[in-house]
Amino acid sequence: MRASQTLRHLIGPIELLHEQAGPRLLRLTRLGIFALWIVKLLLDPLWRLAEMPRELFQPVGILALLPASAINELLTSNGLAALLVFTLGVLVLALTDKAFPVVATVAAVLLTAYSSLIRSFGPAVHTDIVLLLAVYALAGFAWADWIALKFGGKKSLPGASSYPLITIVAMLCLSYCLVGLSRTVAGGLSVFTGDTMEVWTIDASLRGYYFNTNIGWHVPEWPAVVFMLRSGLPFITLFEITAPLCLVSSHYRWIFIPVMFSFHLLSLLFMNIFFFDDMLLYLLLVDWSRRYPALRAPSHPERA
Amino acid sequence: MTNPARAPSRLHPAIVFAIICLCLALIIWLVSYAVPLTLAGQAYLLLIVLLAFRYWPPMIRWVASMPVTHRVVFGVLIGSMILGHYTLNGRTYFPYVVWEIFPFAHEDDPVTCREFIATTESGNKVRLLVEQLFPSIVQIGPLDGYSAETTEHLARVLAKAYNQQHPGDPVWRVDLMVMAVKLPPPAGESRAQPSCELLKRYDISSGQ
Repeated sequence: MRASQTLRHLIGPIELLHEQAGPRLLRLTRLGIFALWIVKLLLDPLWRLAEMPRELFQPVGILALLPASAINELLTSNGLAALLVFTLGVLVLALTDKAFPVVATVAAVLLTAYSSLIRSFGPAVHTDIVLLLAVYALAGFAWADWIALKFGGKKSLPGASSYPLITIVAMLCLSYCLVGLSRTVAGGLSVFTGDTMEVWTIDASLRGYYFNTNIGWHVPEWPAVVFMLRSGLPFITLFEITAPLCLVSSHYRWIFIPVMFSFHLLSLLFMNIFFFDDMLLYLLLVDWSRRYPALRAPSHPERA
Repeated sequence: MTNPARAPSRLHPAIVFAIICLCLALIIWLVSYAVPLTLAGQAYLLLIVLLAFRYWPPMIRWVASMPVTHRVVFGVLIGSMILGHYTLNGRTYFPYVVWEIFPFAHEDDPVTCREFIATTESGNKVRLLVEQLFPSIVQIGPLDGYSAETTEHLARVLAKAYNQQHPGDPVWRVDLMVMAVKLPPPAGESRAQPSCELLKRYDISSGQ
């Protein structure tokens, strides 16, 4: 009996994250996501890609559907600058909440084109994909709200603010879960038992990226770091596979956040890779509306 | 006339869940003759995760509270991610891509990598990194994947970009080097830099 009580205490309350979220929290999330994209684009000298050798350009995603003449126009300094300025304009408009379904949909298309473009000169890396999918969720649920109110005969949608928030967290957790499942099943035991992590670390460190600590290739000389990397991979993979528990368990979230945050910081230190956008999306792993009544849905019974 | 109340199920939900998992395992085992086990195994584990949520009361309540349009949006967003993953394709259906990070073991020893090392007018050695000179690009492919012409073109483009940012100390020469790090390190050897070997030299000062 006591053991089961202790176990229950350890597991903590099992409640759906953001179930009580109200319009204010959704509004803040929209502002945060679009503001983050604006900052990313403001820091990006996209027009300089016109100088890159065209032989390296292998179109990704929707860019492969464009005719060669359109790609040629796009890959000029003017074409790239126009895409950047137009996308920034639409993102700023999305901050105002005016005609949000239309503006968010245009923003989603433009950001997809932008994200595809910057990946067309190399591998389609996973950074900021969930941030892009978050824009899809905001746009998709804004249309769903509009349709339900216009054609569904409803006067209000009490739980509507929680839908995009829970979906964004679900997509973030699903991305981790798929990474973990893929590594476990496709890689098998050999990934976890050999020197996989040292090799990946040295490879990433030798290549160098935007952030460049230049220490990862020293890893084989440091037995303690080798031990940490080897033992850390199965540990992190377990957290990745069980990431969907973040949707339901606050106790799990308070373990998940520092563990994965440390993992991402170590990836930056030894491999020069940083998932900056995912780190900011971790803010959505906090159940703000349970802590602050002002962020709850007006009709929610627990609203103070 | 009211419907009689439904008799409660005699089986505990955990037992139902276990039976479903076993049935799914059987199906996966049967289809694994036609579908690669890596796909079937991932699908099986993912189905277990999804099933756990399917039978979790707060999730049922939340999904049931959604209007139909919202359910469609939720289903399309999550379903597309899952389908994208099972295409095993990282480019065509972007942003619905295969989610693979460190998915297999490398057997390389030593680990090698090609890199551009530039020599400036004052004699300084600098690494020319695409991701730093063109920050839009998150990651470039390995340099050994390109033809000799493309590699030379890239070296000149990088030198030009570097010179625009450092007009006081421009690049005169770019060396294509292959860097190598041994696993484990040779005994008693302390390394300040990875060992490197010159593959090709490009003269930039001539403006060619």
